[in-house]
Amino acid sequence: MLTAEKLTKWYGPNLAVDALSLELEPGRIVGFLGPNGAGKSTTIRMLTGYLPPTSGRATLDGHDVLTQPAAARRKLGYLPESNPLYPEMRVDEYLHFAGKLHGMDRAARRARMDHVTDRCGLSKLRRRTIGRLSKGNKQRVGLAAALLHDPPVLVLDEPTSGLDPNQISQVRRLIRDLGGEHTVLLSSHILPEVQRIADRVVIIAQGRVVADGTVDELRQRSHAEDDRAPVHVEVRGAPEAVRAALLPLDDINTVDAAAEGDGGDWCNAWVVPHGRKDVRAAVAEALSRHGLLVREIRREAGSLEEFFVRVTDVQPREAAAS
Amino acid sequence: MRAVLTILRRELASLFYSPIAYVVLAMFALGSGLVFYIGFAPGEHAAMRGTFGGVVWLLVFLAPAISMRLVSEELSRGTIERLATSPINDWQIILGKWLAAVVFFVVLLLPLGAQAVVLELSAAPDWGPIFTGWLGLLLVGGLYLAVGVFASAATENQIIAFLLSVFVICGLTFLLYFLPEASFVPPKVRSAMVFANVNRQFEGFNKGLIDIRNFVYFASVTAMFLFFAVKLLESRRWR
Repeated sequence: MLTAEKLTKWYGPNLAVDALSLELEPGRIVGFLGPNGAGKSTTIRMLTGYLPPTSGRATLDGHDVLTQPAAARRKLGYLPESNPLYPEMRVDEYLHFAGKLHGMDRAARRARMDHVTDRCGLSKLRRRTIGRLSKGNKQRVGLAAALLHDPPVLVLDEPTSGLDPNQISQVRRLIRDLGGEHTVLLSSHILPEVQRIADRVVIIAQGRVVADGTVDELRQRSHAEDDRAPVHVEVRGAPEAVRAALLPLDDINTVDAAAEGDGGDWCNAWVVPHGRKDVRAAVAEALSRHGLLVREIRREAGSLEEFFVRVTDVQPREAAAS
Repeated sequence: MRAVLTILRRELASLFYSPIAYVVLAMFALGSGLVFYIGFAPGEHAAMRGTFGGVVWLLVFLAPAISMRLVSEELSRGTIERLATSPINDWQIILGKWLAAVVFFVVLLLPLGAQAVVLELSAAPDWGPIFTGWLGLLLVGGLYLAVGVFASAATENQIIAFLLSVFVICGLTFLLYFLPEASFVPPKVRSAMVFANVNRQFEGFNKGLIDIRNFVYFASVTAMFLFFAVKLLESRRWR
C-alpha cells in the first residue's frame, strides 16, 4: 500500500535518513517511532512526496510519489506535523476547500462532510472559526480534512503532540477506529502512544530502522536481548530462610530477599540467575521442598520503554560523510 | 482550472478577512480621490488622464501590500505542506493566488469609476481614453502583483516580501524612468530601457491608444514573474 525503497536524504553534509525501506500492508496501523530528530518527519515528507529524496523512491498504492504525483496524492490523506490550518476559515469552509482540492463535487463533499465531522466529533463545531477552536478540536479538523476524500492511505505525523491527556485518548480512539478501512502510518516519539493502537511498530534512530515488528515481537526481542532476567517471588517465610533455600541452586547467581513491609510473614525475593536461564521451575521446586508457600512467581520482563531507549540510543555517527 | 478556482476563492476570502486589505482599499480611495480632486476644476480637461497618471505611482506601494502575504503566509504557517501534497501542482497554486490578487485589484479600482461618473455629471468626458486608461492600470497592477507573488514565494517573512517587491518594482519604474536621461547611457541601451519602463508602456493606454506591443510587454513580463514564482516554490522543496 505504501512502500519506501532505500529512501535517503542528505541535508547538505548531514545524513538525515539513511537508506530506509518500509512496506505497509493494507488495513494495518503502523506506528512509526523514534526519538526527536531521528528522521521521522523527513521520512514522512519523502513518503508523501513533499520532499524529494536524495536517492531511493516511495510509492503510494503503486504510484511513485514523484513521477506520478497526482495519482499518488489522490490515495493519500496527510496530517502534517503541527497540523497547519487556516485560522481565519470556518470548519465547514475549510473542509469544502480540502474536498475541492481533491476534485470532489459538491454532492460528494456534502455527504462525506457529514460522515467525517460526525466521526471526528465536529458536528456541532462546523460553523466555528478554526482559529478560535481548542488545540484538540483543531487536531480533529486536521484529521477530518485528511479523511475527507476517503483515502486508502493515511499518514499522521505526531497527531497527539501538544494535546492534554483527555484529547490524546479521544484522538487515539479515533485513529484506532480507522484501522481496517485505511492503512495508517502514525508517527510519534512516545512509545505507549503507539503501543496501544498500532498493529506493528517500526522504530527508527539516526535515519535507520532499528526495530520492526508487532508489539509482542518487540517485547520478545526485548526479553531475549535483556542480559538479566530476574525472577520475582512472593513467598511466606523469613528472608534468611528463602535465601538459604535458593542460594545452593546451581543456576542462581544472587538472591535478594526482604520482608514485606506490612508486618505479615510474606517476603519479596528477587532471584538473578546466571546467564538468561529461566529458573522459575527450579525456584518453585526448591521453595516447596523447604516447605515455603509461594504466592506469586514471575519473570521480570524488560519493559518496552527500556527496549526503545536501548535501540534508539545509538552513538552519534563519526563523520556523516564516511 | 478547477483547482485554480479553488485556490482563487479561498485566497480571495482570506484577503478580505485581513485588515491590510481594508487599509489598502482606504488608502487607494483617498489617494486617487485627492489626485482626481486636484484636476477637477473649471477650465481643466474633462478627462481622467491626470488621475490615472498619478494613481499609477501609488501602485508601487499598494500592489506589494496586497501580494506580500499570498505565498509567504502559507510558508510560515506550514499550510503549504498540505497544498503541496494535494493533487494540485505549483502552477495552479501560483496562478490561483495571483488571480485572487487581480480580482481584489479590480475592486480596488472601483473609486476610479465613481470619479468618472462625477466627471460625466459635470462635464462631457470622452469615455474611450477612460476605458483604455483603466485597462492600462489593470495591466500595470497585474504585473506588479506578479512581481509581488514572486517576492512572496521567496520568503516566509511578509515584510521582506513587501520590501523585495517594492524594490523590484522601483527598478521597473523609477530606475528605468530616470536612468535613460543620464548622459553616460549609450543610445541603444537607452531605447531598451525606455521600452522596459512600465510607465512608458502605460502612457500609451492613458492616451487612449491600444497597441499590441504594449499588451505583449505586459503579458510577457507578468508571465515571466509568475514563472519565477513557480520555480521558487518548486525550489524550496529541493533545498
